[in-house]
Amino acid sequence: MKFSATKEKLLEGLQQVQNVVSTRTTLPILSNVLLQASDGEVHLTTTDLDVGVRGSFEAEVEKEGATTLPARRLFNIVRELPSSEIQVDVDGKNAASIRSGQSFFKILGLPEEEFPPLPKFEGAKVVTMRQKDLRDGLRRTSYAISTDETRYVLNGLLFSFKENKLTLVATDGRRLAMVDIELEIPRSQEADIIVPTKAVTELQRLLTDNGDVKVSVASGQIAFDLNKTLLVSKLIEGNYPNYKQVIPGEAKERVTLERETFLNSLRRVSLLASEKSNSIKLNFAKNNIDITANTPEVGEAKESLPVQYKGRDFSIAFNPEFLMAPLRNLTEDEVFLDLIDEMSPGVLKIQTPFLYVLMPMRISS
Amino acid sequence: MDEKCTQLWQKLSAALKPQVSADTFKRWFSAVELVGATDKTLSFRVPNNIYQYWIESNHMAALQAAILIAFGDPREIKFISSESPIEVSETIDVSRKSDSGRDTKPTSSSSLGLNPRNTFESFVIGPNNEIAHAASLAVAQAPARTYNPLFIYGGVGLGKTHLMQAIGQYVLAKKKNMKVIYLSSELFINEFIDAIQHNNLVKFRKRYRQADLLCIDDIQFLGGKERSQEEFFHTFNTLFDGHKQIVLSSDRPASEIANLEHRLVSRFEWGLTAELQPPAIETRLAILRKKARGMQIKLPDETFEFLANRIRSNVRRLEGALMRVASFASLSGKQLTGEVIEHLLKDILQEEARTSITIEQIQRRVAEHFDVRLADMTSKRRPASIAFPRQVAMYLARELTKSSLNEIGDAFGGRDHGTVLHACKTVKKRMKEQDNIRQTISFIDSSLQR
Repeated sequence: MKFSATKEKLLEGLQQVQNVVSTRTTLPILSNVLLQASDGEVHLTTTDLDVGVRGSFEAEVEKEGATTLPARRLFNIVRELPSSEIQVDVDGKNAASIRSGQSFFKILGLPEEEFPPLPKFEGAKVVTMRQKDLRDGLRRTSYAISTDETRYVLNGLLFSFKENKLTLVATDGRRLAMVDIELEIPRSQEADIIVPTKAVTELQRLLTDNGDVKVSVASGQIAFDLNKTLLVSKLIEGNYPNYKQVIPGEAKERVTLERETFLNSLRRVSLLASEKSNSIKLNFAKNNIDITANTPEVGEAKESLPVQYKGRDFSIAFNPEFLMAPLRNLTEDEVFLDLIDEMSPGVLKIQTPFLYVLMPMRISS
Repeated sequence: MDEKCTQLWQKLSAALKPQVSADTFKRWFSAVELVGATDKTLSFRVPNNIYQYWIESNHMAALQAAILIAFGDPREIKFISSESPIEVSETIDVSRKSDSGRDTKPTSSSSLGLNPRNTFESFVIGPNNEIAHAASLAVAQAPARTYNPLFIYGGVGLGKTHLMQAIGQYVLAKKKNMKVIYLSSELFINEFIDAIQHNNLVKFRKRYRQADLLCIDDIQFLGGKERSQEEFFHTFNTLFDGHKQIVLSSDRPASEIANLEHRLVSRFEWGLTAELQPPAIETRLAILRKKARGMQIKLPDETFEFLANRIRSNVRRLEGALMRVASFASLSGKQLTGEVIEHLLKDILQEEARTSITIEQIQRRVAEHFDVRLADMTSKRRPASIAFPRQVAMYLARELTKSSLNEIGDAFGGRDHGTVLHACKTVKKRMKEQDNIRQTISFIDSSLQR
């Protein structure tokens, strides 16, 4: 195999796939990237057996062929190369010679046959949607995924393809984020699946503003085809808990907040939230919210936020990190905060179908 | 829900209502059922696992407080989800077929040599084994996150194998896609030899180095097997670096395994070392009662007490004796009196008696350890190099035998009881002050009890 390409193209290609590369030492082949050169482009594939990514870049292919090379090492070399033109020549024993300007590298690879193939998707359920919609949806929910490994069904994002919409749900038991994306889904293609965190993170990196993504769901597997790149992942086995149970009933009070102003105030006040209790208090009064935090023996902070509010006076406490996470990941100017009382969950909403349920913390008076 | 639980639940709900908002109570607790209540634990059945997650994350403090109000003391809380997990296993099989890279044989617990009776539920916890039990449970709940490696040691028949198998089964039940390997070190050695003979070491390595949980029982048999140790050393490192859980058991602390390489010893001591000690009388009674319930046999309390009193060293023997008494009772239908049982268990009781330690054994062992002559134990000479070992021997004699101070004094060359008392005090004091002395004495102690 022999090809030459520009540094930018090669680097871009490697960047897309290299995050997946396994850190497990048990199977050396998994720390390698599969390179397949043919017909003016080189395909790159990496996998850790749970998540796999396949991308490509343009190149002048002199001799077709395939091999695998250590992904991290190749990436580090390419990044440091001085000249923009790079030539890669792989011999029959999978040793790659990399030439660029005055530099010469030789790295040893493993044969292509040892690389585990990405799974086939036959008889899969297929849905096509806009990349932008999916990316926004992931961004609005993925921060709420649980990292508690003992609740493994929560270590991923629920994709529920039902009733002509895709519902994305993430929860860790204290908060829940949910987004609906409208889609045409034929009855036969309906499915409820859980995509693991790693795949969600990678997918967010790959999705762009333009173009479509084809989602294929087969038993235990999911594939996201982004035209030039493909991401394949195992699904988390098990049933996602009935999240609808968490969503509270009708709200008593609603305030409209400017997202950025609210976020900045929270960020400032949270500097004095104690690490132990880690809570900040929202004190509602007529047309005003006081945001307060205090840590005994350290100090306290208070900030007033003028708002339109006519309900009764009351206080509610939240974990500041949990309250800021959705605000950071939304793009809307205005958000709505719905509350019932100081012991019931708060709900953050926007104009479009999005919902964030957050449990309050107990106020020690 | 039976009567008792209904009543308890009513009491508990009344205490819980003021703790949480009305909406919360209606939403989360109205569908909860109390299905089991003991002095220590309460089991709640929830419609599906979101209830468990949400209550655990948000309402545990309120629930605990309510329990305290309603019953006066804290209880352990357990949740049972009524969603059947069977649906899940079906989808697993399908996905396994389409799985490409991995060894995908579905692992059932019996094919791993795990005895389904050895679970955490059937393990009787007492002060002698609570650390080992807690550590094992922690490891089972979050493999490779807490204690890695976990090293369990203790004498014969105290539950090492039970705990290890319980970990294996717990992990298999909770995380179906984890690869669990359980075997004895003897089997490991045999397979290794076999692999060398048939020249398929690669396959051998692959098998063990891809495990997510590796449990090796009776690791002390690795002592003296150099090549096996080396192979195991590499397996250990690979798994450890890959953040895989390793659980080992042995009949003695790692540092006391003869002919075990230092690098292995230090690795074994890396994580958590938990000791299993012989159960105290209360624990022995609890074990007997639990066993009897499990085997559905009824015996009078005196019988339980007799067995628990007379058989001290070993749980397995305790169970054997129970079995023998129970089968005798059911086969002959005779009344179980003390004499009948004594006769029935003659051989076991004799064996128990023989394991009791004599003063002479202690003297010999101590003399050997401090490299003084046995005669010095009883002689009148008292340079420090002899006097201290003698005091240690007296102390141990006091701790390990039932002899009176006078008897001990006599056995040490006709000393009076005051001397013995003084020796015990001195040794205790020095044990408190000096670590190395405490270690030496506990080492001699454990080697005597073996």
